[in-house]
Amino acid sequence: MPPEHASTTAVAEPEFWQSVDQWMDTPQFREMVQNEFPEDAAEWVDPVSRRQFLTLMGASVALAGAAGCNPSLKPASQRKAIPYVHQPDQILPGVPLFFATAMPQAGGLGLGLLVKSVEGRPIKCEGNPNHPSSRGGIDLQALAAPLSFYDPERSQACRMGETATTPDKAIAAFKDALARQADRPLPERGDSIRMLTEPTTSPTLIRLMDEFLKRYPAAKWIQYEPIGSANSRKGLLAAFGKPLAPLYNFEAADVVLSLDADFLNGPGSVRYARDFGSRRKVSTVDATHELEEKDHKANPKSTAHFHPKWEEIVVEATEGMNRLYVVEGALTGTGAIADHRLPLKPSHVELFARALAAELKVDGVTAGTGLAADVLAWIKPLAADLVAHRMHAVVIAGEHQSPAVHILAAAINRKLDAEHAPLQYIVPPTAQPNADAAEDFKSLVADMKAGKVNTLLMSGVNPVYDAPVDLEFGKAIETVKAAKAGAVIHHGLSLDESATPLATWHINAAHFLEAWGDVRGHDGTACIQQPLIAPLYRGKSLIEIVAAAIEFGNTEGQALVKETWEKFFNDKKITGETPTFPQYWERAVRDGVLAQTKVDFPVAKVTDLGAVKLDKLTAAGFTQPAIDKLEIQFRPDPVLYDGKQANNGWLQELPKPVTNLTWDNAAMVSPRTADELKFTQNFAWTGGERGSTETDIAELTVGGRKLKVAVHVQPGMADNVVVLHLGLGRERAGKVGDKRGFDSYKLRATDGLWNAAVPEMRRTGERHTLAIAGAHAAMESRRPVRHASIEQYKNDEDFAQIPPTSAAEFEEIRMLTPGTIENFELNGLKHPHAHDHGDHGGAEHDHKAHDARLKKLSLYLVNPITVDRDEATKSYRRWGMAIDLGSCTGCGACTLACVAENNIPVVGKDQVMRGRAMHWIRIDRYFSIPGNATMSDELGAAKIGPEKRKEKIKNSAAIRTHFQPVPCQQCEKAPCEVVCPVGATVHSADGLNDMVYNRCVGTRYCSNNCPYKVRRFNFLQYTDYDTGSLKLLNNPEVTVRSRGVMEKCTYCVQRIRNGEIEAEREWAKTTADGKPARERDIHGRPKIFDGEILTACQQACPSQCITFGDLNDPKSEVIKVKAEPHNYGLLAELNTMPRTSYLAAIRNPNKNMPQGA
Amino acid sequence: MPQVFPKGFNVLARVALLSLPLLLSGGGIAGAAFYRSDYTTGTREVVEQPVPFSHKHHVSQLGIDCRYCHTSFEKSASAGYPPTKTCMNCHQQMWTSANILEPIRESYTAGKGKPIAWTKIHNVPHYTYFNHSIHVAKGVGCVSCHGQIDQMNLVYQSKTLLMEWCLDCHRNPEKNLRPTSEITNMLFKPSDVENKLTGQPHTQASLGKELKEKHMIREASVITNCSICHR
Repeated sequence: MPPEHASTTAVAEPEFWQSVDQWMDTPQFREMVQNEFPEDAAEWVDPVSRRQFLTLMGASVALAGAAGCNPSLKPASQRKAIPYVHQPDQILPGVPLFFATAMPQAGGLGLGLLVKSVEGRPIKCEGNPNHPSSRGGIDLQALAAPLSFYDPERSQACRMGETATTPDKAIAAFKDALARQADRPLPERGDSIRMLTEPTTSPTLIRLMDEFLKRYPAAKWIQYEPIGSANSRKGLLAAFGKPLAPLYNFEAADVVLSLDADFLNGPGSVRYARDFGSRRKVSTVDATHELEEKDHKANPKSTAHFHPKWEEIVVEATEGMNRLYVVEGALTGTGAIADHRLPLKPSHVELFARALAAELKVDGVTAGTGLAADVLAWIKPLAADLVAHRMHAVVIAGEHQSPAVHILAAAINRKLDAEHAPLQYIVPPTAQPNADAAEDFKSLVADMKAGKVNTLLMSGVNPVYDAPVDLEFGKAIETVKAAKAGAVIHHGLSLDESATPLATWHINAAHFLEAWGDVRGHDGTACIQQPLIAPLYRGKSLIEIVAAAIEFGNTEGQALVKETWEKFFNDKKITGETPTFPQYWERAVRDGVLAQTKVDFPVAKVTDLGAVKLDKLTAAGFTQPAIDKLEIQFRPDPVLYDGKQANNGWLQELPKPVTNLTWDNAAMVSPRTADELKFTQNFAWTGGERGSTETDIAELTVGGRKLKVAVHVQPGMADNVVVLHLGLGRERAGKVGDKRGFDSYKLRATDGLWNAAVPEMRRTGERHTLAIAGAHAAMESRRPVRHASIEQYKNDEDFAQIPPTSAAEFEEIRMLTPGTIENFELNGLKHPHAHDHGDHGGAEHDHKAHDARLKKLSLYLVNPITVDRDEATKSYRRWGMAIDLGSCTGCGACTLACVAENNIPVVGKDQVMRGRAMHWIRIDRYFSIPGNATMSDELGAAKIGPEKRKEKIKNSAAIRTHFQPVPCQQCEKAPCEVVCPVGATVHSADGLNDMVYNRCVGTRYCSNNCPYKVRRFNFLQYTDYDTGSLKLLNNPEVTVRSRGVMEKCTYCVQRIRNGEIEAEREWAKTTADGKPARERDIHGRPKIFDGEILTACQQACPSQCITFGDLNDPKSEVIKVKAEPHNYGLLAELNTMPRTSYLAAIRNPNKNMPQGA
Repeated sequence: MPQVFPKGFNVLARVALLSLPLLLSGGGIAGAAFYRSDYTTGTREVVEQPVPFSHKHHVSQLGIDCRYCHTSFEKSASAGYPPTKTCMNCHQQMWTSANILEPIRESYTAGKGKPIAWTKIHNVPHYTYFNHSIHVAKGVGCVSCHGQIDQMNLVYQSKTLLMEWCLDCHRNPEKNLRPTSEITNMLFKPSDVENKLTGQPHTQASLGKELKEKHMIREASVITNCSICHR
């Protein structure tokens, strides 16, 4: 039976809340809710910030009118048409091409991409479905890459000191240094030369590196990155005696324990999220099918229709679900979707791992002391669950955990036989897998300071900004420069902190979109990095520079890469489909993946690995002593990662997962810690400018170094922990990235790369304003996100249909959600999955009348909600979308893909603080506090006072996080349409809520009337019409909007229309045997296949949360998803009939855990 | 106080008052007419081009098909402008020293090639997405929008290209449909096709009705949606 619930008459505690402010129900928050559109919101109130905004964006209002429409009375003679002289074969003007390439990312690992090229300009990156690291998904770094590529502040010339020079001269300087080594004995050659590059997996670069080190044996080539997997490498080397990297297979993992590992963000995460997400999806439709089939097989002769019981269906549907436990200090996207999450100080994770290993009887490990009772309560049930799923359970240690934790994880995984399926070890695909990167870097700096180095080439790295601060890399550079004939050559995309004038030379690098190369994915598969365009500023890639410097035959990028693979092809004697090298090469370049390259990385077999050695477990340098007082944890920024792309407005403005911070980072502390340290944060809900948050600036002391940084109170974090993201506070990133946030690298030293004790964190009395994009639109207690455990779903099939305020009409509400079975029945249609749904009609439905939650909302005796039957059926395509909340990790890829696809402008921090961010799809993040006895959230609990609220929010372990991506819901009865005085937003026959920019006069009535607050208004001239290189970035398929125009998600109508045109064009084409070339749909029209049209967000989503398709196509995926009982329409009770619906999150908790199921 | 206006002004005032609506509506009509005039829409405006290319000569006298130069109108949104190479296919052999072809030769021979900047005649606004391929696939001939190109020396815009003109056809596509084999035929008449029902030559009305069904042209209620052209 459904649980009883309290009445909702009192002003209750909100079940779901977006900010601390909302939870505390402050007067400011109340005011904001009541006064949605303040007066004078559209006025320029402060001319100074306006000027700053214009400088920042480089936009000019003067030209805005001219570019938006044709100003002339005589339109001819205004525009030129400039055809080619020789038209390239492949190019068809107006038809974009896609080229396979790959982006080298963190750790030198590549993400396979398909890049959209319009008349020769790359404009958008999409995941390459062939590539094992992508499988079609994509991450933020790759999505933002085209903007970095066209960044007007990229370095456009080589430099010597402050003066521009040519690449030849700069390379000649390096060659001179090498030439001076020529007359020395071979073993000494190069002893004063150092190469400092990013970690690389490029076989071509590795080939050149080997050649370089052969010619200059005394030289050193150091691979350096501020964030990396050094701890994992070190731990596994100690455990197995050889360099190894873990490779997870989440498709085969039933139970996953993350020890402070944010594995859904960072290297390999796109594939990991996809595999992990595939086991979070619940389909009762499929389950019913399977049960029926099973029954049919068991009783082939039975004619009676078999109706499986609901409980059986749920059991079948959730059988494949995985379970995730997360132990972490910060609150990450991975933690947010966990079934059980334990906030724990990062320095205590080692103790936790030790206790767990001891419980699992790993030989030689004893549990330490120092863990709190509530933490210890986790160990037994967790260990039992892991053992119960032996061979299908895996433990993942975070990269910022000590090597000891990695050794323990390896030992536990061995005990659990994880190597059976979910875990593999591979030889790390990076160059010099044996090297200890951290130690190498330290000795490099020591050599530099000791005057042993007179030539240093830095490529793709920025150690002056991100190296451990105690090494004083800047001073080391000065020493090198002061040496006899000393030269520091910087090779990079921009004139960053490490470039000239600090360095002697600067060579402008070629971006990966304009250079040949090769790179290996997270599992070792190699792929060709193919340029999309000739270098914009004649930049050089590293392979070209090294080849030129050592005069290594052909120094042209393509030839170098081709040589590598020709050698590989001949060595491996590759045959099969591509028997000659030109064929092999062509296939590799076209597909983006090199066949048979994974064999280079033999998966280490358990028998080869031998026993896990635990002798280093307590050694210095391996273990992390527990810090009992306040400690700091450094983490890569979830959006900017290490800060290389800090000058990217798309990334800076993207709300960071979980915190929703934009343009800033902050020292994050839990509510309890904030309270103890007396930090306060005011959500300045003034004048409807929702998004600005005033907070304290604290002075943090770590290892004697001090940094002033803004404080952000983050519910759900472990107490006594300060989490600070790296990657912001740049000094020389460019206009967009400079002085954004705080440079946390300034606190990071070699003895505390990830964790350190914080002896003091004190208030300075100064205040700082953060732009927090969340909470722009509070939906109050209307249950915007819905979720249940498997057990709850079993007991209550309709849990997702119950909004708290309404509900006797819940069947009507479901009718109002297009695509649901009830919606089809209302229209007199038969839903393709209706019969699959089992017999739940009739008598069984009666119990709902007694459901305590059901309070009739309508005044009418008979509900007047009806649907115009004609409208729903006469159009032959009805586009609809469903978003699965169960597998959404809040990563933001959908938002960024939408930005890139739809020419969405960057507005700047000031405008975000006024609630004017332009993202068409936002990710709402909610917190909730489940009841004590069960994991269920209390629906509208009794009114509680501020003191009790303050106490409740301090229980970090109880905080649960929910994500909900909200694009335009494409309502069938759209409230925005009826209020537009000029008909600028109207309905199309296929059910899209069209937005007509050229009709819009900017009254904003539509936004006022939109219950979902998904409409975005160009308050100012946000789009940059002036910067030449940024014009090249725009998608020509989408209108560029100017000031005064409303815009919103269109379901990527340009993709829909182009897909339709492609299908419709083929009405007459027939195959050789006279059949239509394109199948006909149920209406007899050329069929658009399911999956042929993908929206940008759907395509980008790494965990495949978004389903999109035609509701009139009975075989479409979306119609199957919408038939699920846990599918619900957001605010559907308002009679808006949203075409976008949500699948309530189904969680798989372990009922033996302390917080129960 | 003496009267300021003589009595005769009464008549004048009455006439003025009565003609006010007339003036207003006249103004409205004049405005609407001006909005649609050749001057505003650019219709029949002949523009100088870098090379005075004559469609009349190449199409009606030499009989070159539209596809020869505008290669992509069946496959792409854009019909495509011919690259210089297309001109030189013939003009490498003929009129090799004609002065008016100098820009073509220069474009072809200069260093890496120097594209010719033709002046665009048929302009639609940036927020309008016209797709050639779907129109020709459904049987709208070149001549329906571009006029008698084969009779033009220098090409000019022969239709207004106003939205009402687009909608006119999107509401009643029958008026402009022809068999897909006749897309580029400048001289096509509906009476060239036999009406299989009556055995008589087709009229545009009967042909259009037949082809609308055959070519699976969508309902007016679909193809007049805003997002069909505006995205």
